[in-house]
Amino acid sequence: MRIHLAVLRTAARLVPGEQRAEWFAEWSAELWQVRQSGERRKARFCLGSFRDALWLRRNSPPDPRPWLRLESPGRCLGFLGLALAVCVAIALRSHPPGSPLRPVGPPLLVMLGMAAMSLPALLATTSLGLGEYPVNRYGWRWAFLAGKIALLLPLVFFGALALWPLIGRALVHLMWIGYAIAFRWALVDQRRRCPQCLRLLKHPAPIGEPSHMFLEWYGTEFACVKGHGLLHVPEIPTVSFRTQTWMRLDRSWRALFS
Amino acid sequence: MVAEPKLSHTAALILRAIHAGDGYGFSVMEMTGLPSGTVYPAMRRLERDGLIRGQWERQSIADAGQRPPRKYYKLTKTGQTTLQASERRYPLLAKLTAVEVDRS
Repeated sequence: MRIHLAVLRTAARLVPGEQRAEWFAEWSAELWQVRQSGERRKARFCLGSFRDALWLRRNSPPDPRPWLRLESPGRCLGFLGLALAVCVAIALRSHPPGSPLRPVGPPLLVMLGMAAMSLPALLATTSLGLGEYPVNRYGWRWAFLAGKIALLLPLVFFGALALWPLIGRALVHLMWIGYAIAFRWALVDQRRRCPQCLRLLKHPAPIGEPSHMFLEWYGTEFACVKGHGLLHVPEIPTVSFRTQTWMRLDRSWRALFS
Repeated sequence: MVAEPKLSHTAALILRAIHAGDGYGFSVMEMTGLPSGTVYPAMRRLERDGLIRGQWERQSIADAGQRPPRKYYKLTKTGQTTLQASERRYPLLAKLTAVEVDRS
């Protein structure tokens, strides 16, 4: 049982902090039920806990700790810029200026090549769609997305290079995984921002009931704290809501948000 | 016109198993034959949607059974309405779980 509890403890690391203790207590109690079963069944039972933990991780409200929240676009780009500076400084210590970056080759080529190679993994884990927004509005959204990607390209490259003395030959694999994760984050982050002020949307509210989803919409609604609009994110794509849709609020609504 | 309640077959099966069985995760697995990686996330989703409600049993009851306390789930009023509608939609649902109850 000790090894099975260790598996549950590992899975528990994926559960958001405030739910972790209760989650582990529930799974440990359930594990007690399968204690008499064969090893294979116990192992399958424990491995299922990862799926449950991941579900909770994906469906829990974001962490309220302010230092983790990159709410404003400036803070987000600033954080990426700072992380890039740190990674470049560490990478240059192990690769002094003038020395060729032997492990990987010409930097720009490697960045673009690895980024292109990570695209299939990106497509497998998230959609490339950013939702439905009024046409010819909010051009800054694209500039912000381009800015994030422009910072992520060298960030992952130098980040992996900084770890090169530790990981050796796994450098290319780390870079490939790093690009897939970084681009996925960039897309998910982009979908959760107000297209006007580019701040992260807040106050997620479940709307509708699953029993009424045939005729009415069912999903989550996010609001811009500045009162620019509401984002409707459908739980399941339907004819009326295929993807997330932005509903712009005019100035008369601002009083409610101030 | 009242919209017909809609749940996936698996979710309806789990809802039915919670209603007909003991109401904790492992009992649902036993009744439905579904793996833990399907049952527990589905139960979280049903709880989030207000169809079931979880409650820990008292420590004294668990102590009497010489086991750790379990978390039991029960259907809410909305859950019962949804289950009734799902049983109309999936007529085999009631029979499937009835067989499992008979076996146990």
